[in-house]
Amino acid sequence: MLFQLSRRDCTWAFVLTLLGLILGLLVQWQLVLHGFQGTLDLQIAAVEKEEAARRLAALPTCSLEQALARHEEGRTLFIDAREPEEYRELHIQRALNLPASQVSARLVAAVLQGVSLAQPIIVYCGSVDCHASLRVAEFLKKQGYSQVAVYVGGFRAWDEAGYPVDIVR
Amino acid sequence: MWEAFAPGMRRGIRLTSSVKRSLLLSFRLFLGAIFLYASIDKIIRPYHFAAAVEAYQLLPPFLVALTAAVLPWIEAVSAAALLVGWKPRSALLVLSALMVVFLAAIAVTMARGLDIDCGCGLLVERPVGWLALAEDGFLLLLLLGLLRALPEQSPATRIPLHS
Repeated sequence: MLFQLSRRDCTWAFVLTLLGLILGLLVQWQLVLHGFQGTLDLQIAAVEKEEAARRLAALPTCSLEQALARHEEGRTLFIDAREPEEYRELHIQRALNLPASQVSARLVAAVLQGVSLAQPIIVYCGSVDCHASLRVAEFLKKQGYSQVAVYVGGFRAWDEAGYPVDIVR
Repeated sequence: MWEAFAPGMRRGIRLTSSVKRSLLLSFRLFLGAIFLYASIDKIIRPYHFAAAVEAYQLLPPFLVALTAAVLPWIEAVSAAALLVGWKPRSALLVLSALMVVFLAAIAVTMARGLDIDCGCGLLVERPVGWLALAEDGFLLLLLLGLLRALPEQSPATRIPLHS
């Protein structure tokens, strides 16, 4: 026989499950309540927004005007954290694509080949609500890039302002 | 022939009881720590875990919330029991059942072609894919191996699971 389980094993397994269930319900009753009231998605969005704001506070950020000034100055490297399809369609002029969903040390090494760790970098994603730029900026900081900032307005604000863009042909 | 390369291998190596005990203890502590660690991330960020469960698109919202609320605690309680050696076989049984559920969810999601975070815990985001499947499959094998190797709590009223 592969396994032999006693009735006692099964009973205590049930007790452990019940204990976890009770603890979970007691500690997370608000989460369960949101599920039953149909407000779970709203609550998840609110918590994610709060978490993003906390993470953003730990990184330097720049506004649309500051981003444009840095772009015109020409020394700053712009990184587009959106998916490749969005990047191909339209992106900030001279920006490189580092999709947040695929970010890895290998991809960073390939995309930023020859780029100094002291290079000023600005990361952006789709709009003010997206979190992809945060993830990529945090990853780049972990990889040793010391001058990483997030442009919080996202590509939408840049495009709407009529600032320079590129398309991949 | 085997004797020339690894003496005793052909007949099976007999472990002394103290070595066997130490091995079982190491595996028990390792698995207990792994699952406790994995559950902590889900417990401290319940809404993040709820979003991960929701992304699988397998449950209605109220069941997503219920799963996100209780599953990490069941995992934590069982992992803690395994870690301290209280009813370890029962804890292994619960954790194995959870792993089967995780594996089924990952397999279904892969078959549906969804590209989502697996929500597996361990404080590192990983997408649903072969790596997550292999990782959970390996952990399930370890759990079942330990369940088979650990001495039974009571020889009475045994229920055979497989012949």
